[in-house]
Amino acid sequence: MDSVRSVYTTPSSLTYCDLPWIIQHREDRCTLCGRCTAVCPVNAIYLTYRRQRVPKLDVLKKKRGNEYRHFVGIRQHTSIAKKCIGCGMCSSVCPNEAIGPVPNTNEHRTVFHQNQKGEAWKRGGRRNKSGATILDRIAFDRISMLTDPALDAGRHEFSLNTILGRVLPPEEFLRRKSAGEWIPPTREIFPFIIGSMSFGALSPNMWLGLLQGVAYCNEVLGIPVVMATGEGGCPPWVLKSPFLKYIILQIASGYFGWDEIIRAIPEMQCDPAAIEIKYGQGAKPGDGGLLMWFKVSKLIARLRGVPEGVDLPSPPVHQTLYSIEESVMKMIQTLSMAFGFRVPVYPKISGSTSSKAVLNNLVRNPYAGGLLIDGIDGGTGAAYNVSMDATGHPIASNLRECYLDLVAQGRQNEIPLFAAGGIGKNGNVTQNGMALIMLGASGVHMGKYIMQACAGCLGNEKGRCNVCNIGICPKGITSQNPKLYRRLDPDDVAQRVADVFMAIRTEMKKIMAPLGRSQSLPIGMSDALGIDDADVADRLNIKYIC
Amino acid sequence: MSAQERKVVRVRGKDDQGRRLTSKVFEEEVRGAAAAADELILESFGQHNIGLRLGTEEHPLTIRVQGPAGQRLGCMGQPGATIICENAASDDVGYLNVGADVIVRGNATNGVCNAMAGGRVMIGGSIGARGLTMTKWNPEYARPEMWVLGSVGDTFAEFNCGGVGIVCGVEAKNPDNVLGYRPCVGMVGGKIYFRGKTDDSYSRTNAKLTQPDDEEWQWLLDRLPEFLEAIGRPELLETLSERGQWNLLSAITPQERALMFSGPMPMAEFSRRVWSQGFGGGDPLRDLAPGLDRSVIGVIESGEFRRRKPFWANRNSAAPCTYYCPMHIPTIDRLRMIREGRTDEAYEMLLRYTPFPASVCGTICPNLCIQNCSRKKVDYSIDVQVLGRAVHTAEPPKAQPSIGKKVAIIGGGPAGMATAWHLALNGVEAHIFERDNQLGGKLAQTIPWERLSKAVWEMEIARFMKEDNITVHFGESMTKDRVEELKKEFDFVVIGVGTHQPKIIPFPGHERVIPALDYLKAAKSNSPMKTGKQVVIIGAGNVGCDVAAEAYRLGADQVTLVDIQKPLAFGKERDAAEALGATFKWPVMTKEVTEEGLITDSGELIPAQTVIISIGDVPSLPFLPDSVEVVKVAGGSWIKTDESGRTTDPKIFAVGDVERPGLATNALGAGKRTGEYLAAVLKGEEWKPFSKKLIKYEALTIAHYDPAEEKGDTENHQAARCLSCGACRDCHLCETICPTHAISRREIVAEDPDGVNYEYVSDDNKCIACGFCADTCPCGIWTMQPF
Repeated sequence: MDSVRSVYTTPSSLTYCDLPWIIQHREDRCTLCGRCTAVCPVNAIYLTYRRQRVPKLDVLKKKRGNEYRHFVGIRQHTSIAKKCIGCGMCSSVCPNEAIGPVPNTNEHRTVFHQNQKGEAWKRGGRRNKSGATILDRIAFDRISMLTDPALDAGRHEFSLNTILGRVLPPEEFLRRKSAGEWIPPTREIFPFIIGSMSFGALSPNMWLGLLQGVAYCNEVLGIPVVMATGEGGCPPWVLKSPFLKYIILQIASGYFGWDEIIRAIPEMQCDPAAIEIKYGQGAKPGDGGLLMWFKVSKLIARLRGVPEGVDLPSPPVHQTLYSIEESVMKMIQTLSMAFGFRVPVYPKISGSTSSKAVLNNLVRNPYAGGLLIDGIDGGTGAAYNVSMDATGHPIASNLRECYLDLVAQGRQNEIPLFAAGGIGKNGNVTQNGMALIMLGASGVHMGKYIMQACAGCLGNEKGRCNVCNIGICPKGITSQNPKLYRRLDPDDVAQRVADVFMAIRTEMKKIMAPLGRSQSLPIGMSDALGIDDADVADRLNIKYIC
Repeated sequence: MSAQERKVVRVRGKDDQGRRLTSKVFEEEVRGAAAAADELILESFGQHNIGLRLGTEEHPLTIRVQGPAGQRLGCMGQPGATIICENAASDDVGYLNVGADVIVRGNATNGVCNAMAGGRVMIGGSIGARGLTMTKWNPEYARPEMWVLGSVGDTFAEFNCGGVGIVCGVEAKNPDNVLGYRPCVGMVGGKIYFRGKTDDSYSRTNAKLTQPDDEEWQWLLDRLPEFLEAIGRPELLETLSERGQWNLLSAITPQERALMFSGPMPMAEFSRRVWSQGFGGGDPLRDLAPGLDRSVIGVIESGEFRRRKPFWANRNSAAPCTYYCPMHIPTIDRLRMIREGRTDEAYEMLLRYTPFPASVCGTICPNLCIQNCSRKKVDYSIDVQVLGRAVHTAEPPKAQPSIGKKVAIIGGGPAGMATAWHLALNGVEAHIFERDNQLGGKLAQTIPWERLSKAVWEMEIARFMKEDNITVHFGESMTKDRVEELKKEFDFVVIGVGTHQPKIIPFPGHERVIPALDYLKAAKSNSPMKTGKQVVIIGAGNVGCDVAAEAYRLGADQVTLVDIQKPLAFGKERDAAEALGATFKWPVMTKEVTEEGLITDSGELIPAQTVIISIGDVPSLPFLPDSVEVVKVAGGSWIKTDESGRTTDPKIFAVGDVERPGLATNALGAGKRTGEYLAAVLKGEEWKPFSKKLIKYEALTIAHYDPAEEKGDTENHQAARCLSCGACRDCHLCETICPTHAISRREIVAEDPDGVNYEYVSDDNKCIACGFCADTCPCGIWTMQPF
């Protein structure tokens, strides 16, 4: 028989102080309006009634007894499934600043229990490695004041764009030009690129908001921003629109959405900016993608050319490609041909010790339009925690090695390298991007930063939110549920895209002017870089400063 | 001052040997000469800073520079000074000039008027780059002016902060672009009049292009002759007086600039004019998802935009008492009726579930119902024995009139009686065929009267016999042939003969051992068995404890219960045995039983004159037709049944211990099940077995209740403490807590007489799905479901 007040405990029984985020609720301010519990994306909080025993002892009259005081409050569930994710939506709707999550500064024990029923921990978001990155710590230390032409960021005109596509050596260019031979296509684009986020991983309002902002940057602000679609197709009306030229279409191992792209080719008004062939992703190298069935809405099913409500796996590898040479030859050539050899085609790989091997194959391939390397700090809609945290290669040294390899061959101006993975993860987007450019990148791709800056993504590097994988994004960025994504106004997203790129443009000038550079992007200008860490300086072949 | 009075001094820039004087020496000589002169004629030779600190408004000074001028001519010029350079001039003419008129008849190179704050610079030719840069205007003084006859070089008027520039475009060095490349960057004040072609590269965020208005034009006309006179080109006045040829660049105000930075084109306008036009003037998803509404909603919404929705799921789930009772007696409803003052109805309802509320629920049942009672999380479980005993005097509920169908029930124990009870209540004639001469089976035969009050039992048997539609046939031993007759005679046959064949272990001396069943039956009869002073009972379960109690009653001094494992006995039976002095020994394996007593396999003797074995009984089924299959388990044969109690013979059902051994309440539950099933079949109705799910404890809100110090010994005490799990208690708390006043109560017509005649509803148009109703409801009625 049970004892009357048995309290049971299991190995996964946790208390509120074991959770990563602790809800602080002030009963003295709470007006019990219900908004916090209504908005919580994971139903982590609830109204609770508490009873407090108040002993009444009257010693003189020898009377004794208990009274009970009752009170209400908002409390958090302690089960793994309903643990607070720290998104802070409760605080955002509270009229009285009565509630909000605070990070648990003690160790939190949920990490030991995120594998209920043998299901390894999966999540969305980022690597959650906080603190300054290597990129954050790089300083632009070569300031021309009285030595070189002094430039003024506010006054001078700067050429900030980069080249996407294969650049021929001058003599070869002239020879082909005079002989009337094919010249590889190139695009002059802004070096900060919105990285691959699919229509599906992103909600319709988010994806279209981004593209609208990109169109605004190009057509109103004159900043030639491009964005990559990710794997998930592109709405036919967009494919047939004049905005296609701002889009890098992606083909990946799931081949989703390509039926509509191929059908739309005859009706395209313009060519896409480029084609990205995805072989790997920095956040989860060597792992595939999976769009969970509940995200495969009617719209997404139609767009991707699949039935509604099925899981959509993108395998870790392209199913019929068995080697770099084969991949590069088959896919780059086919996709170049699809657009009449007028569109640059380049592969995207995850940062890895084998990046140089891929690069050297591309150098020998006349159709390869560049290489995008995505480092370990990249984000994703869904991945195993272990893939996100521990698998991959940081971008800085990987990019640097590849660039110096090109330099050794004298080919650094021919095949552009693009870098991604943690650009702007602490907010220093222009500084991070320019550091990579000066380490040898021709441009950088940004994903998480764009979501945070342009759509208010609540994720941070301390494990906040991280629920992109289950379709409950409280901001409506990564959900296919109209009750959530309609929270996001595409015009607002577009406006923020415009704001962000205007500001990046200004900051680029603020970095370039002191370097005395205005007429070309300082790609590989590593003599202007320094870092206060001798080992990193040595590895990156830049100056150690202190 | 007349010309005759003017004192003119000439200063030479070379010494007697024709060597150039340094700027420092030349300046000293010029300064010395100026002290007593009205006009200086300087035969300069490239000296810098000419005109610095010379002349005042009280003593004006004219300086004519006839030789080559160095850099910064008119530098820091003072009001009252007029500096006339007959030829071209070098860089930074008028540098930091605060009031002098500086006239250059020829061209000037870069930096003209750099940081000038007052005075005029008038150039008779063109100038180089970065003219009019950093020019200031102190509102206490007149604006600085720069007049250029020809053109200006690149990056003109950068950071101009109040100066006025006039570029006439006459005989320009660069007639295609009189303002040079990218003028006005950083310009925050001042104006630039110009005439002639430009490349239109002026900084759009700093300057705006207009034509001079009347006032501005008049300003120019008023001053133009003086400029032309100064540079010696008065003949150009007419050419330059054509208003249509002049344009004006004026500084943009910070307020205007802020507006520009708010976006060259409002996003809404872009969206309308450019964006949607790119898709043929519509939503880019209209083909993929026709009618898709993507318009913006808030984060707190009511109606269809909620992600969850409250449901008032009254009585959808079962309270633990109802769920765990094999008869599913709804104790919460009974307590509710008591709270409502409907005690008689409550009794009647209970009797519709069981014929033995006092004997079983109130006495011998371990009460599975309250073992899981939610109230014990507050203080104590509801005491259901108080409830059971209270019913024993109640009259039987009225049965439905006979429908002319009849069922034979073999065995008058609790299972058979319950079957008969439920058949009878439903208007089916129940005929019980009992081998013995009394009803009640083991309840009556084996449970000591100490534990089951004879008075209570007889009262309940009497009530049972009073029920219509029940006929009992005593002394009916069954055979296969008799069963076949019954099958023909009756619509159905139900077997509920229980287990009346004791299990024995064939160790040496087993013939000396008395089966517990026989011992207990004899003990309750008029001829109990002879019992020794020392008694050993093999098998220390609850039946063993009953045996021990009876043994003490019949003369034993010392009773030892042995078992091969830790005794399973619990509760009242064990307490009673221990109170009498019974001891338990385990693990004990019996090797043999002799005259001296029980010898264990370790050779120990437990002295006993009487050894009783109590390791369970199995069914005795010699009458069972071959059409009924059995399962052989644990040394016995048990009748195989489906969920209604039907055996492999469709006309024969089995209930109670013959299916599987259990508590009396399990037998009553089985009887209720089969009785209701057969009644439904015979009446052609649908059988509705109990199917509710158990309410989750977490759904209740128990903090509303304060712990009681005692559990109380009346029905009313229990009724007051009941949490009413899963059944609305009409407390209005949900209505009270709902922050948007979405919840209201309304009267409805109940489906049955005891049904609920009200409901609480949530208005979808007000509800924001906060879940407060579900979090508040004491009974767990409101639930939030995804929506």
